[in-house]
Order: sequence, then C-alpha cells, then structure tokens
Amino acid sequence: MIIPLDIIVFVVLIVTAVLALSTKDLLAAVALLAAYSLFTAILFAGMAAVDVAIVEAALGAGLTGILFIAAIMATTRRSNPRLEVRRRYVVTPLIVAVLGLLLYASSGLPDRGDPDAPAQQGVSVEYLARSKDDTNTPNVVTSLLADYRSLDTLGETLVILTAAMSSMLVLLRRTGDEDEPAIPSGGGTAGEGPDPDPDGQVGR
Amino acid sequence: MIGNYPSVVVRVIGTLLGPFIMMFGVYIIAHGHYGPGGGFAGGVFIAVGAILPRLTLPESIAYQLFPRALGPLAAGIGMLLFLLIGVAPLLVGEAFLDYAAFDIPGMEPARMRYLGILIAEVAIGAAVFGSMLTIFDVLTEEVRR
Repeated sequence: MIIPLDIIVFVVLIVTAVLALSTKDLLAAVALLAAYSLFTAILFAGMAAVDVAIVEAALGAGLTGILFIAAIMATTRRSNPRLEVRRRYVVTPLIVAVLGLLLYASSGLPDRGDPDAPAQQGVSVEYLARSKDDTNTPNVVTSLLADYRSLDTLGETLVILTAAMSSMLVLLRRTGDEDEPAIPSGGGTAGEGPDPDPDGQVGR
Repeated sequence: MIGNYPSVVVRVIGTLLGPFIMMFGVYIIAHGHYGPGGGFAGGVFIAVGAILPRLTLPESIAYQLFPRALGPLAAGIGMLLFLLIGVAPLLVGEAFLDYAAFDIPGMEPARMRYLGILIAEVAIGAAVFGSMLTIFDVLTEEVRR
C-alpha cells in the first residue's frame, strides 16, 4: 500500500515542479511550490521521517510561501524569461545529461530500509543504542540533532541568523532625511558628479 | 495585503488562530524529546503566529503586539544562549557543547543532557523565530511605506 502512494506522490511532485517552472504568474508559482513542499512532507512522513516532514510542512509549505509573496509584492508579479532559442539548445541537453547522470548514480544507491546500507553501519548504530541511556530522550532525532551533532545544529542556526542579518544589510535602507536625496541620484548622475567638482575648484 | 485586511472574516479568524499556532509551536519545542519536532519547526510555527497579525490586522495593533525590534532581539538572544551553553563547558575543561560537563549534585549526566537539549531547543527556536520575523519585516518594509 505504501508503494502506490509513493508513485502518486512522485507524479504529483513532478507535475507541480514543472508547472511551477513553466507558469508566468509568480504568485501561482509560489502556490505550486507550497503544494510541492506539502507533498514532499507527505513523502517524508511515508518514510517515517516525521521530524523532517514537520519541518518541511512548516517551513516549505508555510513560511517560505509567505516570504516569497512578500518578495513578489516588493518587486513584480510577472516573470519574463527571455530564453533565446539558441541558448535553449545548450540548456536542454545539459539538463538531460545531468538527469541521466543522477539516474545512473541512483542505481548504485542502497534500497530503502536496507540494513546493510552504509548509513545504517557507522556511528548511527551507537546513537540508536545509547540515546536513551545517554540523554533520557526517547526521540533519537532530537538527541542526535541537539546533543550528538549539536555542533552541526549550531552551524545551521548560524546560517539562518546570517541570512536574516544579510537580508537586513541588503534590503533595509536608511531612513535619514539627509540621505534621502542622495540615494535617487544613482547611475548617470553619479558619473556626472565628479565633473562639476573640478570645475568648481578651477573657478575658485 | 500587508496591513488591515478588508474582510472581517479573515481578520477574526487570523486573530483567533494566531495564539493557537504559537501555542502549537511552543508545544513542538517543548515536546521535542518525545515526539516529532524541535527548535526549527517550533520556531517557524511561532514566527507564523507572529506574522499572521501583520498580514491581517491594522498596522498599529500588529506592530504593538510584536514590535519590529522583537525579531533581531529574539534571534540574537537565542544564538547567544546556544553559544553560551556551548562555551560554558570549556570553562571547566570539558568538550564544547558537552551538556553534562558540570557536576551538579543529585543530577546524573543523562538528566543534565536532557535539560541541555531542552535549553538548546529553546535557543534554536528563539533564533529561528527571530530570524524569520526579521526577514519578513525587512521584505515588507518597502510595501508598507
């Protein structure tokens, strides 16, 4: 019963991804991406990776959509892909080649749930066996993320904080009254700016 | 879309749902030891609960409930808390982020790690909540004006 569900989810995933890429309306693309994330969450939940599924559902299907819509409102709603025909002859074979490479590589992957897979062999055995005694935590994913691998989690949190800080740095304009006239005079005006100055000095 | 939403239904439902979404986020953070979830998902849920009033309610109310400074403040405090519980074991000569470094009488190492995980999850939740709120505020800065 699990396998047919997986096939349905995969078909929906591919359809939503292609539709999101092909649509010109960016708002519709955001809605399609949210649906894509939701079905990814279902896929994760089907693999019993509930922790990943809940993060994907909250972040991918929920908050990312809001952020995308906010970005669309700050910019424009229409996308104008100006892909030339000649460039399409280069891009399409590249995509097909990468797809073929990935499919070829996936044939070497172990089966899902294979106990002999490398991911089941290394330290994960120790983590699974000792988590309850080491940390009193029945949910191994939590003890793994927050204790055994807390350095990785620290790095991830730093990445999110860096994203917030850099978005502030890039997008937040200074609201000072004296800076306001200086900002619009970009481009051509800035190029002309140095010219009057030497003239003024010569005049003096 | 930012600011006072014209429909009464949307405003009322948004106002009613916000606290419950945030409560669910707190539950996900606090219950991470036993069920799915943790700091990341919980922080995102709390951030959604804070963003919802900004989308639906009038500006004066929404930004009074969750002020603009809350985002960077929560992000900074969360990150600082996480770093502090990472650095604190170094002071007694143990490994970085080893929650069971201190000898507190009556507490076995497993219990210490349990509490350490809880503090770390709360710190991650605060950092994620603050970061998401900050990104949303920064993105909508232009639209509001």
